[in-house]
Amino acid sequence: MSYRHIWAVTRKEVLHIFRDRMTFILVLITPTMILLLMAYALTVNLEHIPIAVLDYDRSYTSRSFIQQIVAGNELDLYAQVDSLGEVEDLLLRGEIKAAVVIHPAFASDLLALRGMPLQVIIDGTEPDSGGFAVEQIALRAEQIISAILTRQVQALGISIDTVQPVDLRVRTWYNPSLEPKNDLIPGLISLVLGFPALSVALTLAHEREHGTLEQLLATPISRIEILLGKMIPYIVVGLFNVVMIPILAMLWFRIPFNGNFVLFFFLSVIFLFAMVSMGIIIGVFMRTQAAALALSFLLIFFPAFFMTGIFFPIESMPEIVRLEALGLPGTHYAIITRGIFLTGVGLDILWPYAAMLFGLGLAFTGVAALFFRKRLA
Amino acid sequence: MEESEPIINSHALTRDFKDTRAVDSLDVSIQAGELFGLVGPDGAGKTTTLRLFAGLLKITDGSATIAGFDLKSQPESIKARIGYMAQQFSLYAELSVLENLKFFAEIYDVDTRVLDERTGRLLNFAGLTEFKDRRAAHLSGGMQKKLALACTLIHQPPILLLDEPTTGVDPISRREFWNILSDLHGGGTTIIVSTPYMDEADRCSRVGLMYEGKMVICAPPQDIRAQIKGEVIEILPVGWQAAHELIQDMPGVLEVQTYGEALHVLVDSAEKRMPEIEQGLDAHGIQYHGIRLATVRMEEAFISLISQMEH
Repeated sequence: MSYRHIWAVTRKEVLHIFRDRMTFILVLITPTMILLLMAYALTVNLEHIPIAVLDYDRSYTSRSFIQQIVAGNELDLYAQVDSLGEVEDLLLRGEIKAAVVIHPAFASDLLALRGMPLQVIIDGTEPDSGGFAVEQIALRAEQIISAILTRQVQALGISIDTVQPVDLRVRTWYNPSLEPKNDLIPGLISLVLGFPALSVALTLAHEREHGTLEQLLATPISRIEILLGKMIPYIVVGLFNVVMIPILAMLWFRIPFNGNFVLFFFLSVIFLFAMVSMGIIIGVFMRTQAAALALSFLLIFFPAFFMTGIFFPIESMPEIVRLEALGLPGTHYAIITRGIFLTGVGLDILWPYAAMLFGLGLAFTGVAALFFRKRLA
Repeated sequence: MEESEPIINSHALTRDFKDTRAVDSLDVSIQAGELFGLVGPDGAGKTTTLRLFAGLLKITDGSATIAGFDLKSQPESIKARIGYMAQQFSLYAELSVLENLKFFAEIYDVDTRVLDERTGRLLNFAGLTEFKDRRAAHLSGGMQKKLALACTLIHQPPILLLDEPTTGVDPISRREFWNILSDLHGGGTTIIVSTPYMDEADRCSRVGLMYEGKMVICAPPQDIRAQIKGEVIEILPVGWQAAHELIQDMPGVLEVQTYGEALHVLVDSAEKRMPEIEQGLDAHGIQYHGIRLATVRMEEAFISLISQMEH
């Protein structure tokens, strides 16, 4: 292996990246831009969800309960209705996302400490807003119950200290505010770093399309020298995003960065190596840029989106998909980024994932080198 | 010519693509220092032959040695000793002239101590010195070809394989390009060049005519021209269509080709046929400005040979 050959290809490729506007945008600008866009699109806070109330009880207690439910910004009282038919009608027309049905015995049961007969109907086709409405209603109901409970206990003349209500407190670790973006943005990094991999697939296909590969294959340069010479610049230039994204995440999105930046940087180098070697496989097999682009979406972005646990927990997937996910660099890197950003863990915890990434990179590069022939057809 | 080991030697060299045999049992031996022209109609197998010699395609059958190395087992040793220029422009468009040259210098392991001197000389040789910082994409077609040639010469290969290097280039650039080739030929480089231009074939020391994957004729240009049994009569009729129709059916006429307003008539014997044609034209009232004996050009030889094979 001649370092001079690799360096010649690398330097040529860097000049290409900086002189070809499309490549420049794809490698340097797109990852950070897409991360910004997706972070905004996927973390919109739910507010002002319209609900309807069907109050069969019409008591003082039920009316004050309704007032409390819609007191905040989260839920808006869209209509007070008189029948379930009206509820269905409003749900079907999409005017409300949820409805609260208060039963006739609401007040009496509550005051007698027999529970809280309450029904919530949600639009299952919009589980996000519906589920959020249920959460909000449950939260308010809990507050009301505890107030009433306190009052009734006192009225019965029992000391509050002798009653031991269940004290359930949920404590969330690492992402205490349960902000979805805190979890999402570190995960998204693994997705957007697919762009340098896409670029490397395109550049090899580009050389094939434009005949420059034919010229290169007619020289004594070796296969692995061509491949490494092409991969290195995309890893190095891709690192620009590795530096930019944490800065943006911390300053713009106010996401904590609890870990070691140097560790994050080096593990990102390994991740980029694995991703770019995946891209080079695509470039080796595809004859045209159009084909390379299509296959990159199928093999890099699609699985990165659905199978690496960024959005959907891997634990909930069928076993075969979980096994497949192990072969995707993004799966391991998502754990690394979340670990470093949110938990602040070090290499003592993350080394198996780093090792997997490195192993995948070596395997992919090996496959690419094996199938990359120094011939035309 | 002294009998030495040929620098390129192929035996029954064959290459198939799916259903077609692009190169069919090619036997050719080329001596060091030859300027060998490869001609033939489109699809005859010229490009495939050059790609096979360049080690770019797998051999289906047969064998070849190039510069003493076996094409099948030592293609990388051959690649270090050839300069290959593809038909399509295949340099890096975003790189400047000098950057392209230096890129190939490094790939071919040109000694850094001689690199500057050699790139300078090649730029001068190709007439590109004043354009050395211009991006390859912004060069004219002729300059791109000269740059491509310079890149294939950077490691001073003993063998050059050039696939239609002057296609799509203006006549002046074409002549400049061939003057460079003549210089290289004079310097002892073995050159195999495919070309669609017969005047270029005429400048070669030997010409191989390919047809349907086979080497049909392989001889010096004058010998190929001499193979044409017959002579060429040039006529300048007033309105060539009528004259063309009349003459092509006359006895002893082998072939009629048009050159603008002129007709080139290939006949078995000019002495016998010229008066017949004159009489025929007069009898049909077809006027003409002149009629004379012309020399057989490579073009006529080529078309005549190809049409013989098609019949």
